[in-house]
Amino acid sequence: MARPVSRLALEGVRKRFGETTALDGVDLEARDGELLVVVGPSGCGKSTLLRCVAGLEAVDAGTIRIGERDVTAVRPAERNVSMVFQSYALFPHLTVRENIAFGLVVREEPKTVVRERVAEASKLVGVEELLERRPYELSGGERQRVALGRALVRRPDAFLLDEPLSNLDAGTRVQMRTELRRLHREIGSTMVHVTHDQVEALTLGDRIAVLDAGRVRQVGTPDEVYSEPADLFVARFLGTPAMNVLASEAARPFLEIPAGTLVGIRPEHVRLAGEGVPARVDLVEVAGSDAYVFLDSDLVARVASDARPSEGAEVRVAFDRKGLHLFHEASGRRVPGP
Amino acid sequence: MLAPYLFGLAALVAAPALVTFGLAFTEYDLLRPPEFVGIENFRDLLHDDVFGIALKNSLVFALIAVPLRLGGALALALLLHRRFTGVGVHRSATALPTVIPDIAYGLVWLWLFNPLYGPINLLLRWQGDSPTTTAWGVQPPQWLTHPNDARAAIIIMSLFTIGEGFVILLVTRQGLPAELYDLAALEDATAWGLFRRITLPLMAPILLLLLARDTIFSLQWTFVPALVVTEGGPPLYSTTYVPLFVYRNAFEYLRYGYAASATLVMFLLTALIVWVQWLIVRRWRKGFAVG
Repeated sequence: MARPVSRLALEGVRKRFGETTALDGVDLEARDGELLVVVGPSGCGKSTLLRCVAGLEAVDAGTIRIGERDVTAVRPAERNVSMVFQSYALFPHLTVRENIAFGLVVREEPKTVVRERVAEASKLVGVEELLERRPYELSGGERQRVALGRALVRRPDAFLLDEPLSNLDAGTRVQMRTELRRLHREIGSTMVHVTHDQVEALTLGDRIAVLDAGRVRQVGTPDEVYSEPADLFVARFLGTPAMNVLASEAARPFLEIPAGTLVGIRPEHVRLAGEGVPARVDLVEVAGSDAYVFLDSDLVARVASDARPSEGAEVRVAFDRKGLHLFHEASGRRVPGP
Repeated sequence: MLAPYLFGLAALVAAPALVTFGLAFTEYDLLRPPEFVGIENFRDLLHDDVFGIALKNSLVFALIAVPLRLGGALALALLLHRRFTGVGVHRSATALPTVIPDIAYGLVWLWLFNPLYGPINLLLRWQGDSPTTTAWGVQPPQWLTHPNDARAAIIIMSLFTIGEGFVILLVTRQGLPAELYDLAALEDATAWGLFRRITLPLMAPILLLLLARDTIFSLQWTFVPALVVTEGGPPLYSTTYVPLFVYRNAFEYLRYGYAASATLVMFLLTALIVWVQWLIVRRWRKGFAVG
């Protein structure tokens, strides 16, 4: 399949719904051939962002570019983007073949072209055996594959994926995540994938954009946003369990930090060692090979499951200094140090 | 839980239906006991000109009124499913005539259709060259005195009682997933394409249900307007429909057996029409494939 080449850029995009600001001056770029994951909590504006790019919502201000084209005022059909929806949006009265062919048929492509492209797309997403079935005869994963096939068949400049894995069960979600990654590598097109699932974001994206209240908090590779969060929101949003954040008073037994700052440390950098600050274990959650240890000092530590302390045990706590992050207390922005 | 319903069904529907079925093969005038006459009543019906006219009137009415009623309800549902200022008023105006009692509804139309002082003809005669012609120089319809105009009047009356169908179709349209329309917008589907490829096929099961229901309804609905507004006329029997024929035979001429046989014919004919509709629509739905 020929590779559509396109970067996708939003410049100062604003969108309001009545009194609610959905997008508040968003600057964002998905580079040519990149899989950019937009992640954020529910209601942060990520789906609106995608709908604005698709042209399904008109922006109040700002510019949207696909390739070198300014498409801000262009009709959805002329933007040449494909969208995959959380609900799959398959036509229940059409077979898989007809669903995949829909865009081409509507655009009155010749029948031979339709046949070839449908065969090509269905092979790419692995639904060749399902072409004569109807959506109600498919599993969730198969439906999502068909939705992806339909998005592929028109060879768009960019793919917009709106929480495409959210309706799948945990096992299928992991499998589809891998398949989506493989598919992206094969076709090499620009993709913008929206999700509220941080694990999905960290594992899938070439880069991640963290969105909160209609603003982009940070854009970077999964490593960058996880290891060097730009602010407290990003630090707390990414990572399970969330990063421990202590004010200077609470942090004093462990280290001295400047007044007006907060210190953050991820659970994997909290060590339960032979020496350190005494604490008592409140609760232990076992998650397979890892265990999350909740301490009475409002700290959470992640330890190997086979080395976990028992609930009620007295332990000593120390911080791994390379895992410390400092944030300005008032603004929440990251500050150098400690 | 089901017992009251089953009792009502048995006492008010099944038992009268069975009695009607039985009476259809008898001669019965309420005074003497029913006398079994075999298929005599049906043979008489076959040669009864008035029944022939009533049957033809009923079928023509259904043939014209059902598509118009269903099409009107669908068009209004598609027009009014979106939110805009005043949409509630429009929806209420569409739904409300259905809740007016049939007799009151008939009496209102009796006034509206009056050829002399009825507002419809007053409006049509407005700016006419003479007091009896319209602005475009023709005589306005003689709703209650001309056979075709009277039949048209009954059809027009029926077009304002589409509230139930409208509400059902409105809810059906609102329940269609918005993503399908978003997707179609990305694929450059035209308004007609959207209707043909998405809206119509997805609403088809409900439309089929309403088609059957409205056919049954239309074959019965003519009774009150024909009785109140046109009294089955103007001559000769221009607006005598089967329900009015049955009513007159049973309650005016005391020919219960004969009326029951006409009812049975109407029932079988209705069932046949609904069955044919189902066959046609089933084939039509199979042809929805893209391409």
